[in-house]
Amino acid sequence: MKKILLAAAASVALLTAPAMAGDIRFDGFPDFNSHLDKLIPSYAAKHPDTKITYQMNDHGDHHKKLTTNLATGSGAGDVVVVDVSFIGSFINAGGFENLSGSEYGADALEAGFVGYAWNQGKGSDGNQYGIPIDIGPGVMYYRRDVLESVGGGIDGVITDWDSYIEYGKKLKEKKVFLIADAADVAKTIVLTTVKNGDGYYFDKDGNSLITSERFVKAFEIAKRIRDEGLDGQIGAWTNEWYDGFKKGTVATQLSGAWLLGHLQNWMAPDTKGKWGVSNLPNGIFGSWGGSFLAIPKQAKNKKEAWEFIKYLTSTEEAQVAGLKNIGAFPVLKATYTDAAFDEPLEFLAGQKARQLFAQVAQKVPAVAPRKGDLIAEDVVLNGALAEVLNDGKDIMAALKDAEALVKRRVK
Amino acid sequence: MSTALDQLNNAEDVAIVRTSNRKWRARKKQFMPWLFISPYLALFLLFTLFPLLFTVYLSFHAWNPVAGLANMEFVGFNNYAQELTSPWFWKAVYNTVWLAVTTGIPQHVIAIPIAYLLVTAFKGTLRHFYTATMFVPFITSTVAVSLIFYSIYSGNTGILNQWLLALSGVPVIGALFAWVPDAMPIRWLSKSDLIKPSIAFVVIWKYTGFNIVIYSAGFLTVSKDLYDAAKVDGCNAWQQFWHVALPMIRPFIFFALTLTIIGNLQLFEEPFVLTSGDSGGVAQSGLTISYYLYLIGWEWLEMGAAAAVSLLLFIIIAAATSLHFYFNGKKGLEGNR
Amino acid sequence: MRRTLPNISLHVVMIIGVLITIFPFVWVAIMGTHSRSDIFSSPPPFYFGDNLLVNYEKLLDVMPFWTVLFNSLFVSVMGTAGAVFFCSMCAYGFFAYDFRGKNIVFGVMIASMMVPPILTIIPSFLTIKFLGILDTHFALWFPGIANAFGIFLIRQYMVNSITRDLLDAAKVDGASDFRIYWSVVLPLIKPALATLAIVMFIGLWNNFLAPLILISTPDKYVLTLALRSVQSVANSPWGAIMLGTFLSMVPLLLAFMFFSKQMMAGLTAGAVKG
Repeated sequence: MKKILLAAAASVALLTAPAMAGDIRFDGFPDFNSHLDKLIPSYAAKHPDTKITYQMNDHGDHHKKLTTNLATGSGAGDVVVVDVSFIGSFINAGGFENLSGSEYGADALEAGFVGYAWNQGKGSDGNQYGIPIDIGPGVMYYRRDVLESVGGGIDGVITDWDSYIEYGKKLKEKKVFLIADAADVAKTIVLTTVKNGDGYYFDKDGNSLITSERFVKAFEIAKRIRDEGLDGQIGAWTNEWYDGFKKGTVATQLSGAWLLGHLQNWMAPDTKGKWGVSNLPNGIFGSWGGSFLAIPKQAKNKKEAWEFIKYLTSTEEAQVAGLKNIGAFPVLKATYTDAAFDEPLEFLAGQKARQLFAQVAQKVPAVAPRKGDLIAEDVVLNGALAEVLNDGKDIMAALKDAEALVKRRVK
Repeated sequence: MSTALDQLNNAEDVAIVRTSNRKWRARKKQFMPWLFISPYLALFLLFTLFPLLFTVYLSFHAWNPVAGLANMEFVGFNNYAQELTSPWFWKAVYNTVWLAVTTGIPQHVIAIPIAYLLVTAFKGTLRHFYTATMFVPFITSTVAVSLIFYSIYSGNTGILNQWLLALSGVPVIGALFAWVPDAMPIRWLSKSDLIKPSIAFVVIWKYTGFNIVIYSAGFLTVSKDLYDAAKVDGCNAWQQFWHVALPMIRPFIFFALTLTIIGNLQLFEEPFVLTSGDSGGVAQSGLTISYYLYLIGWEWLEMGAAAAVSLLLFIIIAAATSLHFYFNGKKGLEGNR
Repeated sequence: MRRTLPNISLHVVMIIGVLITIFPFVWVAIMGTHSRSDIFSSPPPFYFGDNLLVNYEKLLDVMPFWTVLFNSLFVSVMGTAGAVFFCSMCAYGFFAYDFRGKNIVFGVMIASMMVPPILTIIPSFLTIKFLGILDTHFALWFPGIANAFGIFLIRQYMVNSITRDLLDAAKVDGASDFRIYWSVVLPLIKPALATLAIVMFIGLWNNFLAPLILISTPDKYVLTLALRSVQSVANSPWGAIMLGTFLSMVPLLLAFMFFSKQMMAGLTAGAVKG
């Protein structure tokens, strides 16, 4: 059967018409199209032989389609975007070009990139398969007006999780929620306090870490926040979430640098000047999201694809344009000295927040993705955590159940 | 397929020449039904059979789809063993059956009388208007449905909670809703015991209109002479519905039930969007079997295990449908002829 | 049905039903007139806004809206027309004849409806690729023109509305098999054909998975795909998307009205079987 499939695939590959020499297609999800619309004309001016088209799909759909293309060996673009949540399972499966190979020479670029993001694009064989294009350094957004109404400075709030919770208790008297969803706190702690050499859910030897202290503590803190009634139990990307930002009924939000653009463009444009950003509580550093570019082995114009990837990821011009066009935070360190990073941001009451983002980006520890991360994330951080917070399930029981479930599948 | 047909055709041609007219007729009689159903057979062989066999083959393999077709690993019955002992699989089975029953029955209990009324009690533009509006939920896109019901169900500002609160303030019936203020805010989509009913409402809302259309077509086949005869016999309106119309549309009830059984057991979209695709909602209360196999296959990239779940689901649906055919099939398929 | 005006209580029931069923449709229309910030206020507005023209311009900016609408129309019309013809033909085969293997074929057909579609994406892609019809509209409507649902539906309708006597009489008159199907049976099952047409049209129009996997040229996108492709959880022109969603539902409603008129026409034409 397998042979028949392969024969079928091969015979069809012969039938499909060859693309023009310099045509490349970029497969991704919005808002990359807004970015490309502005970049392609200037790129095309310098590379008259290369014609770039793109195909956008909704984030989930894009990955589903890419999965089908990789599975069947056809239909993928020449350059494809892979979200950080999928990068671990995609790059180790063999469907992408090894960019460390001599025809690409990606390793020479490494020094210019933010370390943790570069490492995430590495396969377990040490070769580079994905090149980061944007990152989401993690910060805490907070309402300045709410903080002032309580008194004290932001440093006093983020000293550690106890001080953060204390702040929440003061807010409760004013009927303001500390955070939209306590689950965010647990997720943040779990994902940012990984010990050197460990993965998120498994250690070097593939043993589960799910019932370890890191998870227990993270869950406990989140549960304290929930039980004290300090969070709004509001899911992200819902009307209530935006409403909390608009009305100032939610005081803080832990998120990536990219949230800033959304807040100021459409979520809460009228709250200009009322926001600030700080480091995450308890001195941790983490990241929210990020995207990678890769070349599928089935791509037709790999050389041109690689040139375009290099342009998008390793030129200051394109990286700074990404920040300006779609709020995609640059992964190229050289851009951090760009004038844009010294701009005071009005939305944040004149704070030079991009410098903070840049500092955070360079302190985020590298954690290598491992087999089973996708399953563990669903089972532990979506499944078990929700049961603990919403249904009052015992933390250790929930973690043990989750671990048993993950172990069954990941051997 | 086409060559097989050609051969058959050739055989027929030869037959015409060689055999007597009567024999040819007998042949033709045998051949005719196959000619009529050949479009289905052709498309089945072309588009359905291979995916089916592929899924069966896959269910005995471990396969990460992004690794490509060449990288399947034979694992025997491991996928089946793994899923049949998985707590999430059984949760999904329970949820699927729960949702199938609680959404399946109301769909028909509501649709049948409404379709009857539409066909018998209304005329012209008004009937047209009612039928069209009843059908609107079925054509509303899932994106719109999820956005809208998210707003309705939302805890702090959702319309549903606001109405409940308002009702609790109304005199007389307010007593029925006295518990409401204490229970606020009710989190319809993030409490494990409320997720399924919340999903069920959306499913009923969406698919009842579809059944109304099927049943309307059914009631249209009932001749008015029958009603007239019943009236002469002294049947009142209820008896006309119950004893005359309902038995007549048995084949339609049978058809609609078959579709509901198959469709409800495959329920995916509504639970998926209402739990934001988040591993089935709190405590997997909204995780249906289709949702679960989506999760395994497309999120966890274990296509082999997903294929096994998909075949287990197939078996469950086939069992349920067989029971339905066994008990209702005779009258349902043959009607009153 | 010589009836006087239905009584008031019936209307009350119907109007409540109408309110429950139609309000999301109205809501989508309303959201199409608001900006993204308004749509995502909480609670969302339930009155018409003034952003309609902006949304319309944005819609035309993010996708060739009328082109993809036409593509959807083409795919749906082709698939519907094909299904009405081929499903009724196959249904007639199952209805009018007794032949060896009939029950098995029928059983397999019903069983084929039970295969969860989520997993057959990859093999279906392989099939379409093998046939060399990737990235064509043909691949979207052709595989469904003789489908189990339609055949089953029409067969059931035939059972209810066509008698053996009628078929026998036609045979005695010397009509050929195809002629009986075409001239005797088809005219009698118009309501069923209309019902099937409604369901097929909507199914094809709302189909999303197949276009996502099979279509890769933006000019060949259908509406569902185009509307989904500009969405992301964080940053989408929601006003424009809602307007597009509303506009995409209008042809469905029109199609429904058209076919349901055909369906109800069966009533005035007089029922066929006593």
